[in-house]
Amino acid sequence: MIESTDRVEQFKADIADMRLKDPSIAREQQLLRLGGVMLVAGLVISIAAYFGSHSAAAAAGGGMGASQGDYIVVALIGVAVSVVGAALFLRYSIAQFLRFWMARLIYEQQAQTDRLVATTSKTDGLATKS
Amino acid sequence: MMRPPSTNGIAPLLELRDVHAAYERIEVLHGVDLTLPPGAVFAVLGPNGAGKTTMLRVVAGLHRPTRGDVYMAGRRVTGAKADELARRGVCTIPEGKGVFPNLSVRENLRMATYTGAKLSDIEEAAYARFPRLKDRRTQQAGTLSGGEQQMLAMSRAMATNPALLLLDELSMGLAPLIVEQIYEVVAQVAKEGVSILVVEQFAATVLGVADVAAIMVQGRVVRTGSPAEMESELSSAYLGS
Repeated sequence: MIESTDRVEQFKADIADMRLKDPSIAREQQLLRLGGVMLVAGLVISIAAYFGSHSAAAAAGGGMGASQGDYIVVALIGVAVSVVGAALFLRYSIAQFLRFWMARLIYEQQAQTDRLVATTSKTDGLATKS
Repeated sequence: MMRPPSTNGIAPLLELRDVHAAYERIEVLHGVDLTLPPGAVFAVLGPNGAGKTTMLRVVAGLHRPTRGDVYMAGRRVTGAKADELARRGVCTIPEGKGVFPNLSVRENLRMATYTGAKLSDIEEAAYARFPRLKDRRTQQAGTLSGGEQQMLAMSRAMATNPALLLLDELSMGLAPLIVEQIYEVVAQVAKEGVSILVVEQFAATVLGVADVAAIMVQGRVVRTGSPAEMESELSSAYLGS
């Protein structure tokens, strides 16, 4: 067992210099869920604002009252929240899917090569016999 | 459970503390503790499905633990990205064939030049270690024998000048003579100062080159000790008696 070499020392220095993000567990999962919640919450806010604006309009005698303007702002915020939520949801769900897809591609390519090698070996064996 | 071996006051190169890991909701590592001193060969043995590969994936940064921490050279690196760790000298040879099957031997070795090393130097070192690769240098890696593919994977790994080598079931599907040859190289690599964590299902050869060994069963390290001790404990650990 070698206790210390230049390579070990260099490794220690490299690891010490590493910039590490907060190692939060399952951060992607959390962001994916947050995206889903924001997507739904934004829609709920917008719909609630729509109905709120009706009651505000009735209270103001059908005119465009100040409170109705507030509802419009709230609805727009709801839409913005939905858009951000959808972006987060797509970003992290696509990342998960692509990772799986890539692993599957690698696996299939490997399986195909194995089949090819097996067939070639068989053919070689037959050729040698004959 | 036995305690991890003492490193005699030397900071371990790799340490796992109470590592838990899961695939979706299925937990496969239930609190793994492991200490690898610098320059040592640590063999983890265990039956199929014990969680050995998952443990290596956690160390390599390919799988995030759900609990517990990974330390390298005394620093917590839990959650560090695999490419970041690879750049600093953590190198994995995965189970089966860690080669690009559609590239030639030479092209596979060329893939290691990202570290800045010259292809000629990489080839020289690879062919010195495994002379039969020289005869196959223009052959597609996917058409090499299992042993030759493992030799190529090993050569490519060594070309990256690793500090920590993670080996997953090197002996899988290989003839005993080839396994012996490959483990001779592993022992030689360890003498050069590379720390090695190797997982194996079938033990005999790896115990001959290991400094420390552990037995892993159902996601837990159940025994740790010298290779000789582990050899005698293996059958009872596998059979659960």
